[in-house]
Amino acid sequence: MIRRALRLVGRQMNVQLRIRTFNLYSSLLFFLQPAIFSGVGMILSRAAGNEKPDLVYMVIGGGLLGMWSGMVFTSTFDIGRDRRDGMLELIVASPTSLGTVEAIRTLTNVLAGLVSMLAAFLVAMLIFDYSLADADIPGVVISLIMILFGIWAMGVFLANFTVWSRVSGSYVEFLEIPIPLLCGFMYPLGILPVWMQTLSAVIPIRWALEALNGALLGKQSMAFLLSHWGMALLLSLIFWGLSRWLEGKVHDRIRVTGEMSSI
Amino acid sequence: MDNDAIDARELHKVFTTRVGFWSGKTKTTVAVESVSFNVRRGELFGLLGPNGAGKTTTVKMLSTILLPTAGGASILGLDVVKQTQAVRERIGFTFGGARGLYGRLSAADNLRYFAELYGLEPTVTRKRISELLNLVGLADRSEDRVETFSSGMQQRLHLARALLHDPELIFLDEPTVGIDPVGARELRKTVKELVARGKTVLLTTHYMAEAEELCDRIAIINKGRVVALDTPAALKKRISGDSVFDIEIKDCDLAAFQGQLQRLDGHLSIQVTDVDPNKKISIRTPRREEVMQLLAPFLSSQQILNLEVRNQTLEDVYVSIIQGEAA
Repeated sequence: MIRRALRLVGRQMNVQLRIRTFNLYSSLLFFLQPAIFSGVGMILSRAAGNEKPDLVYMVIGGGLLGMWSGMVFTSTFDIGRDRRDGMLELIVASPTSLGTVEAIRTLTNVLAGLVSMLAAFLVAMLIFDYSLADADIPGVVISLIMILFGIWAMGVFLANFTVWSRVSGSYVEFLEIPIPLLCGFMYPLGILPVWMQTLSAVIPIRWALEALNGALLGKQSMAFLLSHWGMALLLSLIFWGLSRWLEGKVHDRIRVTGEMSSI
Repeated sequence: MDNDAIDARELHKVFTTRVGFWSGKTKTTVAVESVSFNVRRGELFGLLGPNGAGKTTTVKMLSTILLPTAGGASILGLDVVKQTQAVRERIGFTFGGARGLYGRLSAADNLRYFAELYGLEPTVTRKRISELLNLVGLADRSEDRVETFSSGMQQRLHLARALLHDPELIFLDEPTVGIDPVGARELRKTVKELVARGKTVLLTTHYMAEAEELCDRIAIINKGRVVALDTPAALKKRISGDSVFDIEIKDCDLAAFQGQLQRLDGHLSIQVTDVDPNKKISIRTPRREEVMQLLAPFLSSQQILNLEVRNQTLEDVYVSIIQGEAA
């Protein structure tokens, strides 16, 4: 059972990455865009006379923005392509559930998005002499895992809406901007209006990101980190649970509407 | 019945689509009105019909891709709505055209991917891929990217994909569409081999000769309903004894010619098509000798440019039934 699951994960990832190998658009999205975001952000921050903690937001924010955009766009693109190419019907009609396939695809896209974070860090380190000397490295690693899990859980949740109909993917793409805005990808959450901070409290990435910022600065207490990791984990699990519930609804709906195919 | 591979009972499918984003208005399309038929195990069953008749929608309902709006169906004794998963494990299907493969992957990698979706063990996967690529004549191209394949090769690869998990029942939706005659013949040969191995096949096609050559029984479907169902021989007997005259005549002689044919009004049916600059007239009649006598003067005066007299084919039966429905 586990071996079969691992084989499926390996095969699906292999297929995903090989299909995307020569897709210049996604390469730019994952690598160049976050590097530019981080670079521009840090130039502006330096010009304003800021050192840490603003630099931390620039480094993480650019990388995270790349990861998030990459996940939203590539997941939407993958489903749209499969719908257009007649693959979606074949996957739905196979014994493996579409939800499982989408979960692995999203995981692939999220892990591939780590390249974005790497690109942002490289720009910060090579151009702006950014250092991890003060960082709580285990805290950074755990926070990063929580961010990945949060993005994955939200990605799986959103994949249901992309599959839902031929046009719904476009609406999912609208979320590219509001989520980074609400979660404070490139600035401290404290500068947002209270209502926006309240709204962002349901997004797991926000909590994991705050923990990551704290761990990078190396000044936050363990209680702070644990509470934020706990919230991130809890909210991610809620999104994942909702995804599982939605999966059955979407499966039935597309078999009623016939929207698995583009023609 | 338990012995049936497919038991379709008054299948009905309606698609409802929204018209415009804000209006909230909907448009309803009846794709399948009421389709009932059964396919015995080991049978090669044909589903024929014009474009938009509901063939593909019927196949998609039977293969669990679509849910019927009403009616029901059993596949190998399993309900397509309630036992979806079990049905999926036992059937294979292909849809016509080049869609349904990853062009950037090789033939073998496409098959490996689907083998994983169908939960095949690695040893079985290797064996099946090798066997199937040989069966469909793609063994020497197994590591080539699918985007470099011709339509015929892609269709054959589709067939290999459909057979990966050794299904008992295979749906082939227009498998020879867009394939050259040699490729189509090879594919028909493969389909025959599958039936010889005990597989049940449901085939939809536009090609009457293909249906006549392959199918044990045929259902003709039109406007979402089964309008005829029988063996090809029995279907042809429906208008048995009739002869078909295919005549090419100069356009200017058409009126005089039709005037002569009016003498046999009620005993023949005529279909006229343009073959620029002439006309092609197809006459179906049980009164072969009388038509020959009427044609004699036109033949002697060389007004008839081409004449072919033949017995009814399945295509004639099909056209007769579909035109009868239209009338």
